[in-house]
Amino acid sequence: MVISKKVEFSASHVCRSSQLTDSENERVYGAAANPLGHGHNYVVEVAIEGDPDPVTGMILDLKRLKEILDEKVLCVYDHRLLNREVSPFDRVVPTVENIAIDIWNRIAPSIKGRARLYSVRVQETSDLSVEYRGAE
Amino acid sequence: MTVRTPTVWLSRRYEFFASHRLHSPAMTDAENLATYGKCNNPHGHGHNYEVELTVRGAVDPVTGRVVDLAALDRLAEEQILAPFRYRNLNEEVAAFQTTVPTTENLGAEVDRRLREAWPKTFPGSGPRLEKVRIWETERNICEIAQ
Repeated sequence: MVISKKVEFSASHVCRSSQLTDSENERVYGAAANPLGHGHNYVVEVAIEGDPDPVTGMILDLKRLKEILDEKVLCVYDHRLLNREVSPFDRVVPTVENIAIDIWNRIAPSIKGRARLYSVRVQETSDLSVEYRGAE
Repeated sequence: MTVRTPTVWLSRRYEFFASHRLHSPAMTDAENLATYGKCNNPHGHGHNYEVELTVRGAVDPVTGRVVDLAALDRLAEEQILAPFRYRNLNEEVAAFQTTVPTTENLGAEVDRRLREAWPKTFPGSGPRLEKVRIWETERNICEIAQ
């Protein structure tokens, strides 16, 4: 069984790679390559997999999941410039793909007991989202 | 630290407006009406269709992208949006002269067009088209998975 929880954060980013030329950056990232940055309201949906505890009926206490998301993701990401203020985006381009991977890496160690992290879905805009299910 | 190329699923949505009529020449008028209800209206009607393409692949370690979004947008524009936008699907799209433009058949046609053009846009072991979802209305959604 899979249960999921949604949270939101707002942040700014610049999609440019130092390994690409200016024209390559503009071709790959389009308007998102603007060096002055821009922002989004990100929606993060975290799915947890497991069998419900026979006593509590819960896979994972959702209050605990909310605490993990607050502490590991929202406190780090919300109202930040990702490139400057959130590791690893000083080295890695903060595309929505890399944001999903980073959120997975931040929360996976905290999901314990009968629950297992199943997927992290990040929606950057209403027409663009990404899902990551961990390293294969 | 070793360089990893994690797999992700990216979903991109597009919208187009088109009209259609659900009517099969293989059925009588009464059967068509019974099967399709108000969608059988001889004058046709339209929808705001939404198409979501889900692409699966490895994240490029340099760009941080799983797919070249500009190339994906171009492919969608050429194969789906330009041919379908503001069209009467029954009259103006070849496939629907022989099949009924239900959401199922429209989804299958979208999927067929994309898969046919895919290798030219994304050759070799590049990103794969994993899933096509099409919304006819908020409540009618069809999914074509690979």
